[in-house]
Amino acid sequence: MALMKAPENTPVWVNTSRCKACDICVDACPAGVLSMKPEASSVLGAMISVVAEEACIGCNECELSCPDFAIYVADKSEYKFAKLTDSAKKRREAIIENNYRLPEDWKEQ
Amino acid sequence: MAFNYDEYLRTNKMPTLWCWGCGDGVILKSFIRAVDKLGISKDDICVVSGIGCSGRFSSYVDMNTVHTTHGRTVAFATGIKLANPDKTVVCVAGDGDALAIGGNHTIHGCRRNIDITLIVIQNFIYGLTNSQTSPTTPRGFWTVSQKVGNVDPTFDGCKLAEAAGASFVARENVTAPKKLEKVLREAIAHKGFSYVEALSNCHINLGRKNKMQSAMENLDWIDSITLPKKKWEALPEEERINYLPTGILKQDKEALEYCEAYQMVKDAHQGKRGKITPDDFKKKI
Repeated sequence: MALMKAPENTPVWVNTSRCKACDICVDACPAGVLSMKPEASSVLGAMISVVAEEACIGCNECELSCPDFAIYVADKSEYKFAKLTDSAKKRREAIIENNYRLPEDWKEQ
Repeated sequence: MAFNYDEYLRTNKMPTLWCWGCGDGVILKSFIRAVDKLGISKDDICVVSGIGCSGRFSSYVDMNTVHTTHGRTVAFATGIKLANPDKTVVCVAGDGDALAIGGNHTIHGCRRNIDITLIVIQNFIYGLTNSQTSPTTPRGFWTVSQKVGNVDPTFDGCKLAEAAGASFVARENVTAPKKLEKVLREAIAHKGFSYVEALSNCHINLGRKNKMQSAMENLDWIDSITLPKKKWEALPEEERINYLPTGILKQDKEALEYCEAYQMVKDAHQGKRGKITPDDFKKKI
């Protein structure tokens, strides 16, 4: 099986040279781990960023649904993923409502 | 550890030329995972693609690849398979490529039941040339060639393949990449013609004037018109027309594969056997 080494203590990481900012991963993530950030040099003016890596539940949805090979998720045997919490769900809703970007004045609840 | 897609990709051609959020990328990913799980060597598989956005598929995979003329993927692949019966041959075509200009080749590939996997990336429109009506565009949709709304009836590729004699027919959806991977795995492993229709999104060309400008809206629409095969079968007859069933729709492991049948021709010419008679094709009871 084709495997690559994961960066240490990282549940999810992105390859920004491949991301086209389509928002699909942000929509797919159930825990609000991913969000878009403004990026002037990108075609759509946005770029993917990991905003709450400690909330990642390791469901792999973002990696599976990314069409551009830009997201990778660590294996469950190597990283202890969190459980899905209410605050994570609220963060996800806030990100999606705010056009797939984490609100600037966002406070964890 | 994470899955390394780069091992199967021509990374110097990345990022892909497809639009942001294009389902072709998800299908390519699922295909790579399926090949990896089946344990097929990169040297033993040939990917044949035609013209269209789906034609780029063969440029990105680091396998034996052929980028052929419009609609002729199955024709080229038939030749490749007959010359190399021990190799795996996978065709990738769009809905326009496989069902419009290449419709005839698709039908005859199915009829011969040759061991090829045909992945039809079905995005309901001619995407590369900017939104002309394809044989699968739903009625009432806006297209560049029918600006007041499409009136042409739509084509069901799976029914066509089933009727034409393909021994494996399946339909899956890019919103379910794990299921897509499983279907592709079974299709590649199946001996005989495998027709896999992967419903994909084209929010840029299908969605822009049909109220689905973002990839998520287009994917939600695809979800709303598909149902798993079991749920679809439970529906009353008159409601079934509103949905497309997903999953494996036909699998016939008994059907005679074309390379095996052609071996008889080779043997007859080499004097290893007598002439072929109708009795050779009668099923043994």
